[in-house]
Amino acid sequence: MSRSHVAEGLLPAEGDVPGSGDQPVLVVENLSVSFATPDGRVQAVRDVSFSVDGEEVLGIVGESGSGKSVTMMAVMGLLPKTATVTGSVRFRGQEILGLPEKELRRHRGNHVAMVFQDPLTSLNPVFTIGNQIAEAIRVHHDVSRREAMAKAVTLLELVGIANAGQRAHEYPHQFSGGMRQRAMIAMSISNDPDLLIADEPTTALDVTIQAQILEVLERAQAAVHSAIVLITHDLGVVAGMADRVLVMYAGRAVELGAVDDVFLHPRHPYTLGLLESLPRLDDDGQERLTPITGSPPSLLHPPAGCTFHPRCRFVRPMCGEVVPELRFVGGLGQRSACHYAEELQAVDQGRG
Amino acid sequence: MLAFTLRRLAVSIPVVIASSFIVFVLVATAGGDPLADLRLRPGISEGTIELRRKQLHLDEPVLQRYGNWATAAITGDLGKANGGEEVRPLLVRRLGVTLRLVVFATIIAVILAVFIGSMGAVKQYSKFDYTATFFAFVFFSMPVFWLAAILRDVGIRINTRIDRHIFFVVGEQTPGLGGGFLNVQADRLGHLILPSVTLILISMASWSRFQRGSMLEVLNADYIRTARAKGVSARRVLFRHALRNALIPVVTIVAIDFATILGGAVITETVFGWTGMGRLLVDGLKASDVNVIQAWLLVAAVLVISFNLAADLLYGYLDPRTRTT
Repeated sequence: MSRSHVAEGLLPAEGDVPGSGDQPVLVVENLSVSFATPDGRVQAVRDVSFSVDGEEVLGIVGESGSGKSVTMMAVMGLLPKTATVTGSVRFRGQEILGLPEKELRRHRGNHVAMVFQDPLTSLNPVFTIGNQIAEAIRVHHDVSRREAMAKAVTLLELVGIANAGQRAHEYPHQFSGGMRQRAMIAMSISNDPDLLIADEPTTALDVTIQAQILEVLERAQAAVHSAIVLITHDLGVVAGMADRVLVMYAGRAVELGAVDDVFLHPRHPYTLGLLESLPRLDDDGQERLTPITGSPPSLLHPPAGCTFHPRCRFVRPMCGEVVPELRFVGGLGQRSACHYAEELQAVDQGRG
Repeated sequence: MLAFTLRRLAVSIPVVIASSFIVFVLVATAGGDPLADLRLRPGISEGTIELRRKQLHLDEPVLQRYGNWATAAITGDLGKANGGEEVRPLLVRRLGVTLRLVVFATIIAVILAVFIGSMGAVKQYSKFDYTATFFAFVFFSMPVFWLAAILRDVGIRINTRIDRHIFFVVGEQTPGLGGGFLNVQADRLGHLILPSVTLILISMASWSRFQRGSMLEVLNADYIRTARAKGVSARRVLFRHALRNALIPVVTIVAIDFATILGGAVITETVFGWTGMGRLLVDGLKASDVNVIQAWLLVAAVLVISFNLAADLLYGYLDPRTRTT
């Protein structure tokens, strides 16, 4: 057993690259999550399907309440008991939904690890950084305290914390926000996970730090050869880092495809709206930003048909009646849940 | 940690000096006559009374009297009571009796409060939670003397009903009991039960509410989610990650409440006829006995300060953010 975990996974291991691409790491099929509230049933996620391949970065984009975080909490098996979950979440072929807590615990932090949004509150204030990383290791591996601590220090070095041996013995409040997020990333890769879920990892940080953290995330991914699901509402982050992107709106997947396809040729009016509401660097400053009119729908009483139709500028009678399927449009695996996706081709030309 | 302790102790010294001065002046100028007892006795001449006044330094200005008292007190001499008895041994004896009650009750109340409060938070809105909440509010709103009187009455009734002496309702121990050390301790423990239950129920009521609130807050914290995301077991999350954080505010409350418990103990002792600090204070006040009251308050002040210090040390141990250096 002492064939140390320390080295494992930290060096670019040759030969044991996990079955890249053969089989998706994560397959989510028809996932629906709802919560009973005194006012009725909140449908947080409805009929969402997607998959993540080994070593791929999938960006999930959507506004607050679009269901992106709830979807990934379901993948972690961290949904509260009040949640009603249907569908299927398979991790490396194994069904996660309905697993007993004991099995889920072996899965969490080991095969799938998570980096949370706010590093200021996500670390326990009363334990040292090293201690918290070592705990993550010891929960899943039978190693001594000393070995776990040594690996924690190596991990902290990997994520770019200077003087890691000493800083491992410091408490979270002695770290800056960016440092804490680095420590969170170190913790998340401590068990060489196959999938890393980063839930808005840069939202709570200074703009100047954001790029650094994304770089650390990429370095961490390279070290452990994991796939990443990057949850964000920052389209710039997705453009810079993700291979594919899933756009969610009001609990539904509305568009899925390679980042270049989706960003250059959006096939869903919501994605188009998101892109148009962004300021552009090559803009001469004359054009005004175009907001999406209206506000997100209530998840208690979502609109019939396409959830986006009340705000859609291309709306037609059918949109309020029939729920559009997430279907293939265009080439190369781009999918959209819009009845009239093909007609957005005309807009492509207009956008130049 | 040592530097922190020493610094805290050093800061406490002016507090003790200031409080002893204020108390001395208040008692000395409050208007009671320390010689009233002497005056009432027949056949005491004016000369004797005057002599006694001199002996007790009552003819001197208050500031000078305080100076005399403080000089002696620093060397451990707390002076004599009006009746001529040395204050220090009297105080030590009475303090022993009261501390037995206070320490015993506090320890048990803290353990129960932490357990009940945490359980109530983990199983929020369960039958257990509602029951605990109900009783917490009942005991929280009960005056100490009333609860003590009820428990005493219940104890007496049970004793009468089954015609056996199960509950001791008078005094802190059976006077003149022989039979060796163990026998004496068992007898003391028996006398401890009803007064302790009084103090435990009342202090536990509020502490368990604080513990519950604090635990609820902690359980919703992001770092608890992080711990669960690491794959840590529910029990370990609760005991290692949550409890330690949840105890931090409760420790402060308990330390601050110590003065209240001491006050509660004084009342409880009176109801159960203990000859502890409570009786000492009441007798001292009746006789306007400056030295006794002064010694009493000095001890109370030192106790409260040391509990606050203990709380700070514990606080620093539990919460690294409050550690200096």
